[in-house]
Amino acid sequence: MKRFFAVTLGILTAIGGFVDIGDLVANALVGSRFGMSLAWVVVVGVVGICLFAEMAGRVAAVSGRPVFDLVRERLGPRAGLLNLAASFGINLLTLAAEIGGAALALELATGIDYLLWVPAVGLVAWLVMWRVRFETMERVFGLAGLALIVFLVAFFALGPDYGELGHQLTHNPSDDGAATYWFYAVALLGAAMTPYEVFFFSSGGVEERWTRRDLGVMRANVFVGFPLGGLLSIAIAACAATVFLPRMIEVDTLGQMVLPAGLAFGQIGLALVIFGVFAATFGATLETALSSGYSISQYFGWQWGKYVRPREAARFHATLLVSTIVAVALILTTIDPIKVTEYSLVFSAAALPLTYLPVLMIANDPDYMGDRVNGRLSNTLGTLYMILLMVVAVAAVPLMLATKAGQ
Amino acid sequence: MRRLLLIVPLLLAGCASPAWNDADYGKKAGATAEAAASSVALVRLAVEHEARLTRPYLQTLLTETATALGSVDSQFGAVQPPSEQAVEVRAEITELTSEAAEQVQVLLDEVRLREIAEPEKAAADLAALADRLRAFAERHPS
Repeated sequence: MKRFFAVTLGILTAIGGFVDIGDLVANALVGSRFGMSLAWVVVVGVVGICLFAEMAGRVAAVSGRPVFDLVRERLGPRAGLLNLAASFGINLLTLAAEIGGAALALELATGIDYLLWVPAVGLVAWLVMWRVRFETMERVFGLAGLALIVFLVAFFALGPDYGELGHQLTHNPSDDGAATYWFYAVALLGAAMTPYEVFFFSSGGVEERWTRRDLGVMRANVFVGFPLGGLLSIAIAACAATVFLPRMIEVDTLGQMVLPAGLAFGQIGLALVIFGVFAATFGATLETALSSGYSISQYFGWQWGKYVRPREAARFHATLLVSTIVAVALILTTIDPIKVTEYSLVFSAAALPLTYLPVLMIANDPDYMGDRVNGRLSNTLGTLYMILLMVVAVAAVPLMLATKAGQ
Repeated sequence: MRRLLLIVPLLLAGCASPAWNDADYGKKAGATAEAAASSVALVRLAVEHEARLTRPYLQTLLTETATALGSVDSQFGAVQPPSEQAVEVRAEITELTSEAAEQVQVLLDEVRLREIAEPEKAAADLAALADRLRAFAERHPS
């Protein structure tokens, strides 16, 4: 019974923690412009993140070390540094976007300008990372993020035209050109496979002291929790396709993105969705900030993690603090957090191979993995995904420039 | 390099490119009308359901839309009309976008003070304005 409870809790946390500002923005925007015609990208992204998160979790459980702790050792300091530079930069941009998203959610709840909330979000996030236990932190915000299920319920309550939505799965209803369509496909893939997710998942496994015995729970989280989280992403797009597309409304703010829940359930729906957005973005703020600390500390071989006292991992905690301050400062320049999110998604997509290639290599290395190396299916899928991610990486920035970031 | 890659598109997105001829100017005017129509249609949707939405939410939504309309207006205003005919096009679209901005501002003021006085009338006015913007966009396809 206790085991069943642990598995269920883990799955629920994975569902609630799956959606972040990138998923919210990309899916709502795509749903309002392209209907359901890009839903296939979410499916591709979810299969990809499941594949690589399982590998990263397995590496953590078998070797007792997170993947990126092994990158420098396995690939050498230069390749490790390239990996670190790319992932840390994107992580910082994502952290800024998440802080902005949490502040925007507070603005929607209170009517007070989001810029006034930004320092408070940064401060509380830092305090939580400093004081709250890893497992508590992960569970509380993951479970609170489940409030976003309101998007799924709202979709049915809005009385959608199922035939039309089904038709959109294979027919793009937009007049926008192919370049714009593919630009958003890339952004959507970047949202589903954001690099910090595997940093956090892998390092989190070590924080929670996973062993081989935890492989079953880890796989349940990945193979059940993540796809259900992906379903929430599709529900966000479906709500936008139902409410905004027929009225030719293109959404580009968080306030607009949550409107379908308000239309479906009034003030209760609105309160729930704003709460869910706050929980999702604040939870992701913690995850991205921690991922910054993890990646830097693991590369330089510093003591890291929340399983030791802060004074024993001083440089790790200093990195968390500095990253949070830099991200807060970036949003306080008044740059639009939604724009930051859009660019972070494209740069994430451009750096995907740098994040996922080491995962594939280490999960195949018998020196670290013993008898738990990748099977034939994982390797075949992993190789196919690496080819796809390389194509995406090459296309991401040219598509962004050619379409003026999807305009 | 990565920072440069971030800055270049941000600059590209923030700058209004020049119009080389009437056709080009017309396309930009059409795109402006489409963006404004989208904002107006959104506000109409919110106003129709205003009783079901919270006041802070409605206030934020209207503030965002007012800002977006102002931005659309100023971006198009920065494009020099290349001919007399283009000046007429500018006058027409500017009148429409200014009217949109004004209507949204009035609604925002009402929400800030108390609530929207006549939501049904406001929604009907917004619907009519959105139709005019869409008609303009159809005459000047972007």
